[in-house]
Amino acid sequence: MIDEPEFTEPLARELCGTMPVHRRLLNESMAYRAQRSAIENQATQYRLGGRRISRSGTISIPVVVHVVHNTDEQNISDGQIYSQIEILNQDFRAANPDVTQVPPVWQPLVADTMIEFHLATRNPNGDPTDGIIRVRTTRSSFSHHDDAVKSSATGGADPWPSDQYLNMWVCQLRGGLLGYAQFPGGPPDTDGVVIRHSAFGNMGTVAQPFHLGRTATHEVGHWLNLYHIWGDDGQGCSGDDKVADTPNQGGGNTGMPTFPHISCNNGPNGDMFMNYMDYTDDAGMMMFTTGQSTRMNACLEGPRASFLIPQLARVGGPEERTVAAASAGGPRVSGNGSQRELEQLLQEVLKDTRAALSVISGSR
Amino acid sequence: MNEEAPDIVGAWLHAYEEDTDTTAVYHPEDYPFRPSRRPRRGMDFHADGTFVEWVPGPDDRPREVAGRWARQETDRIRVTFPEGQGEPFDLTVVSREGDTLSFARGERQ
Ligand SMILES: [Zn+2]
Repeated sequence: MIDEPEFTEPLARELCGTMPVHRRLLNESMAYRAQRSAIENQATQYRLGGRRISRSGTISIPVVVHVVHNTDEQNISDGQIYSQIEILNQDFRAANPDVTQVPPVWQPLVADTMIEFHLATRNPNGDPTDGIIRVRTTRSSFSHHDDAVKSSATGGADPWPSDQYLNMWVCQLRGGLLGYAQFPGGPPDTDGVVIRHSAFGNMGTVAQPFHLGRTATHEVGHWLNLYHIWGDDGQGCSGDDKVADTPNQGGGNTGMPTFPHISCNNGPNGDMFMNYMDYTDDAGMMMFTTGQSTRMNACLEGPRASFLIPQLARVGGPEERTVAAASAGGPRVSGNGSQRELEQLLQEVLKDTRAALSVISGSR
Repeated sequence: MNEEAPDIVGAWLHAYEEDTDTTAVYHPEDYPFRPSRRPRRGMDFHADGTFVEWVPGPDDRPREVAGRWARQETDRIRVTFPEGQGEPFDLTVVSREGDTLSFARGERQ
């Protein structure tokens, strides 16, 4: 054990050097908090029914998968990537075969979010792409306390513009971590989700009990502003996931619980542990609720509206090809939303975007 | 300087599946841990007396809580959070053998 005094001087010097960094991070965190608060206010309007989701068709979000590998095994196959995209499309559309395992009492709450995903077909320059980036790294694994995988300067892969693509980084994560996300309102250059290669898709390198692609379903839920179903208060009963139709529950559930699992006086039905936003094994989670769907779609009409706008612009107009190309192979909206509905939504979205921008500039 | 005091400097993550009734088991963060959906708690003891606790965050990314640590007795560690980000707690080191560090089970498990 070395005594502290030996370190006093270098530490003090280092502290001075890091002061501006500290101040910058503090300012950023204040801006982030203001952003999150504005986003929560917008989500609340939808939750309380003051605003309704304008879109009636599906949206498909373009995805770029960055496979950052240190070994050939970690360089997962195209097939493993396709399997993950297919699972996302099943889970977000309530088309997953295991949805029938939801206890009857909660079947009416099972939601089709009308959100889909596809590998990007155009890169940021507008050129054709398969939406898969493969990068060899000298790092044997990526740690959970930095975002090294998200930058080529630190052995990872740079994101594509995160207002047009959902960035997914697939790599070996340290500490047994399955994945992590970033909520809307965070820094654009780290926006997206990170998934352990052995929990991505349902084939190739996947390992039980995280072998059914549900890690990505869960992390994309966060990316679309969902909180954990127990409200992130440890084991307490006061946490809130800001969704009304999910029961209050104590802590997160792990493994494969059996119904009903009671906590926080939430009998007779107990915890909704089969929800994608709990911590159960892949085979034990199989639903989003209507309330969660509303919250995710509110996110798409608010902080992530950049994914909707190009699609709105595409609908109907003669310019749609041009606009589509400009939107970097972008998202697709389909369905029967009327032109007027869409125009109205566009106005709302622009209003929100302006409001969000004023929040950012106001707190600088 | 106490020769009997086990060296705990470094970053450690909780191998909760290896806990016994009396001990909480930790390994270095680069240990090949089994995947876990619940992010593992961690503790990083720096030689200069600073300390970082990692607690699971709402986006599944461990959140860092900065504090300080000090040895009270040979096997007793006191952790404090001068910036008020948490309650102080004590740890009792049971053993340090290679890449396995064991604490008596307590409020930090
Ligand atoms: Zn999570």
